Amino acid sequence: MKSNLVFFLGIFSALAVSWAGIVLGSNAELGGLAPFYDDTQSTSYPEWMSGEAARGQLVYRDLGCAACHTQQVRRPGLGSDQARGWGERQSVARDYIYQPAPQLGASRIGPDLMNLGDRKPAPPPAEDLLRLLYTGADGMPPYRFLFEMRRIGAGARPSDKALSLAGPLEAPAGCEIVPTGRALDLVSYLLNSKTSYDYPESVPWAPPKAGGEGGAK
Amino acid sequence: MTSEYSPSDRASRWPILMLLLCGVVWLVVSGILGVIASVQLHTPQFLSGCALLTHGRVVPLAETSFVYGWLANAGLGLALWVLGRLAGEPLRGQSWAIMGALFWNIGVAAALVGVATGDATGFALLGLPRYVQFAMLFSYAGVAVPGILAWSGRLRRVSFASQWYAAAALFLFPWLLSIAHVVLFALPPRGVVQAIAAGWYAQSAWTLWLAPLFLSVAYYVTAKVTGRALPSYEFASLGFWCLIFVGGLTGGRHLGGGPVPAWIASVAVVACALLIFHVLVVVLNLRGVATAAGIAPKFIAFGIAAYALGAAADAATSLLSVAAKTQFTYFDEAQRQLALNGAATAVLLGGIYFAVPRITGKAWLSGRLVRAHLALVVTGVVLLVGSLVVASLVQIPELLNPKVAFAQITRDTRPWLLGVSAAQGILLAGNIALLVNFYATACEILNISKPASFAAPRTAETHAS
Repeated sequence: MKSNLVFFLGIFSALAVSWAGIVLGSNAELGGLAPFYDDTQSTSYPEWMSGEAARGQLVYRDLGCAACHTQQVRRPGLGSDQARGWGERQSVARDYIYQPAPQLGASRIGPDLMNLGDRKPAPPPAEDLLRLLYTGADGMPPYRFLFEMRRIGAGARPSDKALSLAGPLEAPAGCEIVPTGRALDLVSYLLNSKTSYDYPESVPWAPPKAGGEGGAK
Repeated sequence: MTSEYSPSDRASRWPILMLLLCGVVWLVVSGILGVIASVQLHTPQFLSGCALLTHGRVVPLAETSFVYGWLANAGLGLALWVLGRLAGEPLRGQSWAIMGALFWNIGVAAALVGVATGDATGFALLGLPRYVQFAMLFSYAGVAVPGILAWSGRLRRVSFASQWYAAAALFLFPWLLSIAHVVLFALPPRGVVQAIAAGWYAQSAWTLWLAPLFLSVAYYVTAKVTGRALPSYEFASLGFWCLIFVGGLTGGRHLGGGPVPAWIASVAVVACALLIFHVLVVVLNLRGVATAAGIAPKFIAFGIAAYALGAAADAATSLLSVAAKTQFTYFDEAQRQLALNGAATAVLLGGIYFAVPRITGKAWLSGRLVRAHLALVVTGVVLLVGSLVVASLVQIPELLNPKVAFAQITRDTRPWLLGVSAAQGILLAGNIALLVNFYATACEILNISKPASFAAPRTAETHAS
């Protein structure tokens, strides 16, 4: 390697090729992905997140929830994603187009949260999720800094958002534990995460059955 | 041995020593954060009341201080040293490097404060909040100035593998970071393209920046300690260009089966397989280091072995049939730790143990601490990666079985996660030993200013390492 110019151009073109291929290539393929308009329902999917839910995604990113939770359901056959009830179909790129900061995640120390708002038979109530955030669970830390303890003054009504807790975590007499706005945003985001609509590209591919099409009748 | 302490080394020691010392301080800081993060895995309540140190923040904090604090500082310091030595004259433009190093480290500290207080980016290996990225970019360029001058103005027209790797790392990182800034922060693309771009950055930062930095050190030190031409050296340039051209294409390694086009993961499979050729060349070239005498070659031999093992594991887990099981488990974390704590850190530590006595003209104050550090690093990395692999072997079948709840998986992996915490503690102890030794040696240099006192090394053994 005797020429500095050849060396410089070599490493520059190597970087340019990988950037153009991976980043620009995928942007050309997916960057202009449009929502899918369903004629029969006169609605387009995915739906916009509410402002509260979009704020909640930023809380999700800030607290690093993706360190333990993924937000991507893999296609049938890969892992136990469907069997665990995380979603009946795989997540596809169109599911994420309105998300300000998609958090696919790389670790499943806890369950996947892509489709929490559409769990079968019913999604968890917001109250339960808030309680889980406050108390923590086996393997999940509590997030008490997302709550505040308020004194209930004489004659004042308790907040309708106050957590009902039992046991050692119960608020002392005259006090209540109320979720902060960040906790409410986060829970709103999680319960708004739904991939219930089936896009044409999201229908799981099934191998043709022997004797099916073209087979003996 | 004859002392290699040269006037050229002495004239260019300040920026190099500053970078290395900052790097070792960050290594200890990230070790503390790493212990916290791993304790939180088996005892989630640990420090959970402290919003600054909730698990989701400690993980990027530990990673940022490790990569941008430790690996970047130490790698840059050693790259400048290698380029300066091979240029055959003192480094030019040293004040650029000193100012650059100062602002780089202020930037790292600001990034940690930012992540802890709510500006996490959510991207792996890119935990730098948007507002520090410009400072990091320009300070890196400042540090690189003496290295680039030494590369382009070298006295010999012929160059060596250690120079290619070092010069490539100096050029490539600013491009990588500026592209990542535009693509992920200034003009973020829609939806999952962000995840693809972030994956591209993370893999490129490893293959085009961190790996070249430590490979440069490994090539230089191996040639020095074996004292002869590297075997199979004619393949070295092929190995270099293989890494540079293929490295960035491994960007989709973690995205298999996800909501991205399948070709991205397929390209990564091919790229990871091609990188085996690069690793083969590196191992062939550097095989002499395994039998060389001294402490530094042992660190480097361990690091290169970890690098080779890691590349094989990367290639295997990029295949979708394997990834279907290992994806999202502790196996990923084992590979990450093998690369960062095994390969990169061990080689850079070997470089520090080799370079600092030659830069300062002083032997390490305590040879015992140096040997203890080697033992702690080897034990710590083996225990860390081993525990994570065993934890993943427990986790994988339970994760595949939909009847096993996550709480059960946590209980069953707990013994191995305790092993991970113990390993992080061992690594931290070893790195504190280095900091103490480094600090004591540095104090001695500052007290003794007469060049005459740089004469004989204290103990031949540690100096020769």
